[in-house]
Amino acid sequence: MSDATVRTEPIRYVEGLAAYYGAMGHPPYQWSVYEDAPWQPLPKPVSECRVTMLTSGGISLCAMPAFDPLARNDHRLDEIPQGADSKDFQIHDSYYDHRDADRDINCQFPIDRLRELVEAGEIGSLAPRFWSGFMGRIYNRTKVLEESAPAYVAELKKDEVDLLIAVPA
Amino acid sequence: MGLVCRVVEAAGITTVCISTGRDLTAQVKPPRSLFVNFPMGNAFGKPFDRDMQLHVLRSALSLAENATEPGVLVDLPDVWPEPFEFNPGRSNM
Repeated sequence: MSDATVRTEPIRYVEGLAAYYGAMGHPPYQWSVYEDAPWQPLPKPVSECRVTMLTSGGISLCAMPAFDPLARNDHRLDEIPQGADSKDFQIHDSYYDHRDADRDINCQFPIDRLRELVEAGEIGSLAPRFWSGFMGRIYNRTKVLEESAPAYVAELKKDEVDLLIAVPA
Repeated sequence: MGLVCRVVEAAGITTVCISTGRDLTAQVKPPRSLFVNFPMGNAFGKPFDRDMQLHVLRSALSLAENATEPGVLVDLPDVWPEPFEFNPGRSNM
């Protein structure tokens, strides 16, 4: 395959999603737009940090209920034990093509790679829980800002997390 | 997800976001983002490509450790080896 066929420009998702959901009769999504960002410098090197990871890709343990692949305003948040088997997951989310991640969850939620970096000493430790939730199409964002996300912060603090890796999908 | 990162960071916990939707991430401006121009669902590369998965993960960790500018968005230079497009829908269920 020649290089001429590979993608160099990012996909324009804002336009694509407006067209996709508009065709389904949904009103245009009012995106949150910010000009600045909060800031908490990492307090120590990653090699000394306790790390966890959050996915919004409709990923759940096989023993848990499936996520609703067409969910809207779903504030469900699953905790995933740090020792979970990477072959013990299911994905239900219409938002993206997860056939590769169905075969190897590490494409989208690299829990095995995180463990390897702990073994290698590049990461200090992993928190006792990973996380899956905040799936797309959340229209009631005030609830995220005032309820769901602050409640999540409390859980991260219980686990004494220094660094959250967030993987949206 | 960017909103969640903002709330977590404002509460004193460092966050790094690994995004395959550059425009989506740029407008919500999480504290630190690594843009990976791969298909959504393949933020860390292909199945069983351990080296690429580690490469993306290490790039994000490096950003978490070294970034100094709130709202920074770094483009990972790696290129996906095949064409890909926006592909939501029921075929993905």
